[in-house]
Amino acid sequence: METTQEKMIPHKFAIIKEVTAFVKDVITWSLSGGLVYQIYLCILAALMVLGVYAYFVQLKVGMAATNMSDIVSWGFYIANFTFLVGVAAAAVMIILPSYIFKDKDLHKVVIIGECVAIGALVMCLMFVFVDLGAPWNAWHMMPIIGLFNWPTSLLTWDVLVLNGYLVLNLLVPAYILYCHYYHRKPKDKLYLPLVFISIFWAFGIHLVTAFLYQGLPARPFWNNPLMGPRFLASAFAAGPALIIIVLVIIQSTTSFRVEDAVFNKIRRISVIAAIINLIMLFSEVFKEFYLPTHHSQPAIYLYFGLKGHTALVPWIWTAIVMNVIGTLTMAFNPGKNNPKVLVPACILLFLGIWIEKGIGLIVPGLVPSPLGEIVDYAPSWVEVSITLGILALGIFVVSLLLKPALMIEQRYETGQGQ
Amino acid sequence: MDPRKNKICQKPQEKDCQQTKPNGRREFLKGAARVAAFGGAAMLAGCGGGMLGSKEELSLRWKEYFKKHYRLMTPEEKDATVQRLEQLAKIKNNVNIQMSSAPPIEGVLFGYAFNVTRCEGYMECVAACVKENNLDRKSNMQYIRIFEMEHGQMTPEVGNAKFYHQVPVEDHFYMGVQCNHCQNAPCVAACPTKATWQEPDGIVVVDYDWCIGCRYCIAACPYYGRRFNWNDPVVPKDEMTKKQHYLGNRMRGRGQMEKCTFCVQRSRAGRLPACVEACPTGARVFGNLLDPDSEIRFVLKHKKVFRWKEDLATDPKFWYFVD
Amino acid sequence: MKTPIFKNCFWGVLPVLLLIFAAGLVYSAKGGVVQIYKNATAPFDDEKQVDAALSLPIPSVLVTERYQGGRFRTETRKDKMQRFSCSQCHNNKPVRVAQAAEIAHGEIVLNHGSEARPLSCYTCHKKDERDFLVTEEGTKIDMDHSYQMCGQCHFRQKKDWVGGAHGKRISYWTGERVVKNCTGCHDPHSPRFKKRWPVIYSPPLSKSK
Repeated sequence: METTQEKMIPHKFAIIKEVTAFVKDVITWSLSGGLVYQIYLCILAALMVLGVYAYFVQLKVGMAATNMSDIVSWGFYIANFTFLVGVAAAAVMIILPSYIFKDKDLHKVVIIGECVAIGALVMCLMFVFVDLGAPWNAWHMMPIIGLFNWPTSLLTWDVLVLNGYLVLNLLVPAYILYCHYYHRKPKDKLYLPLVFISIFWAFGIHLVTAFLYQGLPARPFWNNPLMGPRFLASAFAAGPALIIIVLVIIQSTTSFRVEDAVFNKIRRISVIAAIINLIMLFSEVFKEFYLPTHHSQPAIYLYFGLKGHTALVPWIWTAIVMNVIGTLTMAFNPGKNNPKVLVPACILLFLGIWIEKGIGLIVPGLVPSPLGEIVDYAPSWVEVSITLGILALGIFVVSLLLKPALMIEQRYETGQGQ
Repeated sequence: MDPRKNKICQKPQEKDCQQTKPNGRREFLKGAARVAAFGGAAMLAGCGGGMLGSKEELSLRWKEYFKKHYRLMTPEEKDATVQRLEQLAKIKNNVNIQMSSAPPIEGVLFGYAFNVTRCEGYMECVAACVKENNLDRKSNMQYIRIFEMEHGQMTPEVGNAKFYHQVPVEDHFYMGVQCNHCQNAPCVAACPTKATWQEPDGIVVVDYDWCIGCRYCIAACPYYGRRFNWNDPVVPKDEMTKKQHYLGNRMRGRGQMEKCTFCVQRSRAGRLPACVEACPTGARVFGNLLDPDSEIRFVLKHKKVFRWKEDLATDPKFWYFVD
Repeated sequence: MKTPIFKNCFWGVLPVLLLIFAAGLVYSAKGGVVQIYKNATAPFDDEKQVDAALSLPIPSVLVTERYQGGRFRTETRKDKMQRFSCSQCHNNKPVRVAQAAEIAHGEIVLNHGSEARPLSCYTCHKKDERDFLVTEEGTKIDMDHSYQMCGQCHFRQKKDWVGGAHGKRISYWTGERVVKNCTGCHDPHSPRFKKRWPVIYSPPLSKSK
């Protein structure tokens, strides 16, 4: 049955009919669900509407609607962008074992990792967009109709690699799901090269984002060679933690079964990365505080406060404590992968890294200013609303992608609907 | 379950999900379409809420929106855009401005020297700069910052720029900072759209209309040389300097970066920048580095000069010296 | 299978590395802006190249000294003094105005030199030549050229003033060089700058909401 279907080359119009049927079913499945699911989608939609309204306020007033200033010129938006690029890159930690080491267990949840990556990437691109002061000029960055300062500007590299990774992560699962929908085996030649490219590309997107900060000698807090590896380590700790949480949610709300071995493997990946992350954190802290220089002022501002400005101090210490507790819990695994223990640990680790890699990275990089002046920063209601809207958009995208994806996978496994 | 039968969330579902194709590419395109719609609305909103402007104004604005990057324009196109901007200023604000697109002078590389011994903290330079360059009065934008420093340290990072008392204070000296017009400017390397660049006469300029407002250049600048318009700039008409240059003191809009341009509208006409002219103690020296007879070359040859944050290899054209 | 891949990668990567190395060499040999201006020895012909008004209608006199670019000018002083010429009163005729000394010279505060050895009026002015400044040796110095007097003690500042590191240029950066003379900035009788308020202040950098 499979072989004859494989060998059959569909007629041109038949392809259009097939794609239409595929798309129609995917739409239907993505929106259909129980009352809880519909309410959940409505809440997300409401948050998105709030985000859109806040964005119109920002467009009307200008960026002065945010609490950013000439000193803290990047804030909540870019903080979330930085963190979410890591989450997007972390899908590679599922893809790599399942395609290179041919791990059967993780192969089953690759599609979930990729859906999370797509959601995270959409959020990243939206965060960059809402952070622009003149978004109507965004076409100025396009290569032919505008001026694209590649390869000099790291931002252009970032634009290229993020959009490229989005395309890769859309094409490969779309093709696989399309084949599985029609109970065909996907042709290895077509998608495996893209998968291998996307493995290297995933490391690339997060390194490029790290180099964005690392390459600026004006900001000594960022200008150290450990930023790139640190970004990778924290991404590969937080991303799999998020995927574990998503898997637990899927397990409890749908009939999709996830084996214990999968949780164990992802947990191990996350723990190793989290431990490396903590070692790198220790290395950074040592460099800043062993013989502090003027270049250590940002770190002192972050960890201890400078001249009475202590706004970030409770945040960073909370983040480190959460990070350590999460890492230790997941490392010693007292519940033996019991979700009741694993999920809180993952949440702690995820939130700890979110604080430390978000606001705990961006604001100290900019404060004290190059002239040594300290300005406090806390996001305004506009920034928080837009952030919530974009987060809702990301979760919305992930839900709308996951639902039909899981259904197609289940049908493929059980052979139903052939 | 058929969503059409679900009455609870029908309306928001339809509104938000009407164009949603769950195929991720379509989803992204939908997001992009939404974003483009925002962008279109933003463009109209970004035109200062002048949606109801006259037909002439709209046509001028349309042409201005789609113009090329300044460096790629032919001299005729530069003249055209300058004329359009003059007309827009007349229509919108009823001011008669003269805008120039004067090119750099051949054989000129501007240099600047600041005499730390002579500065007394009067801040005449700051006030003159604000007036000359039409800086935003609402956010109190100032390109120049003067630091009051105690003897014993020579870096502004330990100084105090927030002073407001009689000057000079005993046992203190004063040091001014502004854009250093680096020969190896990190802001130029950082800009993703090439909206900022170094002109042949050494001035690092910004094409305000090309800037997308990403603020990467602020992160890259080690001297706090760049400013961002967080709101629409406000300049009272009677205080506005009417002789403007496209790359210099013309009125900027919100969401655009700006910076000190060594008063390009003045220096390309042979005049001194406003700060140099305003300083009552003669602490500022400006001139052509390529002219061996200039005052700036005398300073560099005979005085003990230093540049700030020299270790960052930005190669600034702003020197400090002491008597 | 491993060796050919390694070979291909190596031959692909090596040219890139060489290119980067070469670029690094070229860049480090540039020397920056200091090298650029040190190499710039050709004089700048501003009349040909600057298309602007090059002279300002400032009353000025030609300075007797030359700077590195030739002659330069300084602003006149005599037309700015209230009661020049001094010989209008100081001649062999008696002065018939009541309290003339206070009216004419009352505002002058003499605070020049250290406390131990202050200057007196007679250090620069002589009774028999009131229209000129006169040095100890008896050389007459025109009031417009007071720099010659100041430069006797303040020779370092004078050298800097001639070259351009001291004082203030009041013309354009190109074209005729006209500078302020010493008395244009420093009150010759009380030369130290007084304390005053700054004209403006720097607002707080943080957003005040």
